[in-house]
Amino acid sequence: MLPIRNRVARFFIYLALSMYTVTMSFPLLWAVLQSLKNVRQANSLIPVFIFKPTLESYAKLWFREVPENLPVLLLGAGAASLALILLAVLLNRRGVSKLAVIGLVVVGFSVILWAIPRYANTADWYDFFVNTLIVTVCSVTISVCFSAAAGYAIARYQRIGGAVILIVALALGSLPAMAFAMPYYQLSSMLGLQDSYILLIAVMVGLHQPFSIWMLRGFFLEIPRDIDESAMIDGASPFRVFWSVVAPIAWSGIITSALLNALGVYHSFLIVRVLTRNKWTLAVAMSKYVSTLYAAEDTVPFAAAVSASIPLLILVFFCQEQLIKGLGAGAVKG
Amino acid sequence: MKRRHFLTFIAPSMISLVTFTIVPLVVAAWLSFQSFGYWTMDARVFVGLRNYAEIMADPSFWQAVGWTLLIMAIVTPTEMFLGFVIALLLDQVSKRHRGIFLALALTTYVSVPVVASYMFKGMFFPGGLGSWLIQLVTGKRLIIDKFTIKSLIILYQIWRDTPFPTLVFFAGLQSLPEELLDAAAIDGAGRLKQLRYITLPHLAPLLMLVAMIVLGALFGMFDPIFVITGMNPVYHADTIMAYNWRTATQFDQLGKANAMALLSVMGSMVLLFPFLHRTWVSQTEER
Repeated sequence: MLPIRNRVARFFIYLALSMYTVTMSFPLLWAVLQSLKNVRQANSLIPVFIFKPTLESYAKLWFREVPENLPVLLLGAGAASLALILLAVLLNRRGVSKLAVIGLVVVGFSVILWAIPRYANTADWYDFFVNTLIVTVCSVTISVCFSAAAGYAIARYQRIGGAVILIVALALGSLPAMAFAMPYYQLSSMLGLQDSYILLIAVMVGLHQPFSIWMLRGFFLEIPRDIDESAMIDGASPFRVFWSVVAPIAWSGIITSALLNALGVYHSFLIVRVLTRNKWTLAVAMSKYVSTLYAAEDTVPFAAAVSASIPLLILVFFCQEQLIKGLGAGAVKG
Repeated sequence: MKRRHFLTFIAPSMISLVTFTIVPLVVAAWLSFQSFGYWTMDARVFVGLRNYAEIMADPSFWQAVGWTLLIMAIVTPTEMFLGFVIALLLDQVSKRHRGIFLALALTTYVSVPVVASYMFKGMFFPGGLGSWLIQLVTGKRLIIDKFTIKSLIILYQIWRDTPFPTLVFFAGLQSLPEELLDAAAIDGAGRLKQLRYITLPHLAPLLMLVAMIVLGALFGMFDPIFVITGMNPVYHADTIMAYNWRTATQFDQLGKANAMALLSVMGSMVLLFPFLHRTWVSQTEER
C-alpha cells in the first residue's frame, strides 16, 4: 500500500504494532525476567517487577561448578569470537570467496567451543548445546548442497520426469513426523546407531530435502536460461555452470533456504527424541529442564528457555533482510 | 539439460529422500498389518487389516480427528487474516524502525516450539502472570479444565504461528511495484480499492501456499499438546498425532500406531491435493 502520510494515522499504526509485538514476545520477555530473579521472587504469587537481577540461574544451567575465573573466561571467549567475526568481515570485504569465509568462521567457532570445557567444568546443557550446533550446521550444509543441485536440475529439466519427482518429494515432505517415528526407532535400534550424530544428521537431511528442493527450484526458475546457455557455449560443463555461474546468482535464495532449514532442524522434537537416548539436542533437553516450569520451583528452566531461544533470535535478527529478500524473490511463488 | 546430467544432479538428494522417507513408510506399512508392543517387538503377529478396523471403530480416534479439524478450522483463517493485517501495518513503518518490529514479531516463530509451549503454559498455569492477570480482572481463578486447555491450545497456536504468514505476506508486499498503486491512486482509486484490486491479486498465489503450509503444520501438531496437556487424558485434547503417540507409548500397541500413522499420511495427501496440483501445472507448462 502507498505510504500513509497522516500523522495521527501513523501514530496509531506504530501503537498497534507495538502492542502486537509486545504480546508476541511477552512470554519470552517474561522468561527473561524470571530467569534473572532469585527463587523467592520468581515464586511470588504477585509478580515482582522490580528486583536486583542475578545471573545465578544461568551459572547453574551452564556450569557444574562455577569456575573462579569466569569473567576472564567469558571475556576470552567473547574476544575470540569478536576477532573471528571481524576477520570474516574483513576477508569478505577483500573479496575472498564466501565459502572460504564461512568455512573459516565454522572452524574458528568449533575451536572456541571445544576449548571452553578444557578450562571450566561445564554442565550437560553445554553438551546439548554443542550437539545441537553440530547437528544443525552439518545437516543444513549437506541438505542445502543436495537440494540446490536437485532444485537446479528440476528447474532446468522441464519434462515429466522432473515434475513427477517434484510432486513425490513435496507429498513426502509434508507428512507428519509421526509417520516416520516408529520405523526410525526400529531402524536405529537395529543398526545400533542410537545416539550417533551420523544417523541423526542423515535423517535430518532426508526429511528437509522436499521443502528446500521446492524452494530452490523456485529461485532457479527466476534465473534466465540464457545465462546457462551462454556459459555452456563458452565450453563450461553443466557442473561448472551450476557451481560458478548459477549458484552465485541464487546466493540469497540459498541463504534463505538454509535459514529455514536451520529453523526446522533446531526445532525438531519428536524425531530427535525417538533417535537419541542421551545425546539430546536443546529441544529435547528442554523437556527435561522445564517439566517443572509451571510449578516454578526453580529459575533454571527459564534460563534454559532463554538460552535455547537466543542463538536463533540472533541469527534471524541479522539475516531478516536476507530472508525478506529471499522470500520475496520468487522462492515462494509455487 | 541432458537426461544424464539431470540424473547426476538429483542423485544425492533422491538417495537421501528415498532412504529416509520412502523406506520408513514402507516399513511402517508392513508393521501396520501386525500386532506387537514395545516388549514384544520380536514376537510380532500378522493380523491383516485388523488394526485398521479397530481404529475405524475407535471413538477416541474420531474424537481426535474432530478436534484436529476444529483447530484447523479456527486457527488457519485467524492466522492468515492477522498475518495479512500485520504485514500491511509493517509495510507502513519506515525502513529504519522496521527491523526491530519485525524481529520482535518473529520471536515466537523462531523460538523452539517445545520451549514456546512451556513458556506459554507457564503464563497461564497457577503462579503464572496470565492467570494472575485474569484473577485480577475477573476476580475468579482460572481453572484448568477441558475447555480452558483447549482454548489455550488454540490461542497458543495462533500466537506461535502467525509470524509465518506475516513474514511471507510482508515479503510479497515488498515485490509489489509501487507504480501500479501510484497509477491507481491517480485514477482515483481509494486505499480500499487499491487493496482489493491490486494488493490482494498480487498476493493471491501466496495465499494458497501459506494456507497449505499452515494446514499441514496443524495437521501434524504434536509438541504443544504434549507440553500443554502433559499428555493427561482427562482433558480429552488429543490431536491425531497425540493420540497416535498415546497408542504407541501408553497403550503399547505399536502395530496400531503404525496403521494410524499411515491413515494420517493418506489424510494429509487429500489435504495437499490442491497444492500438488498447482505445482504440477507450473512445472509441466511450457516456458
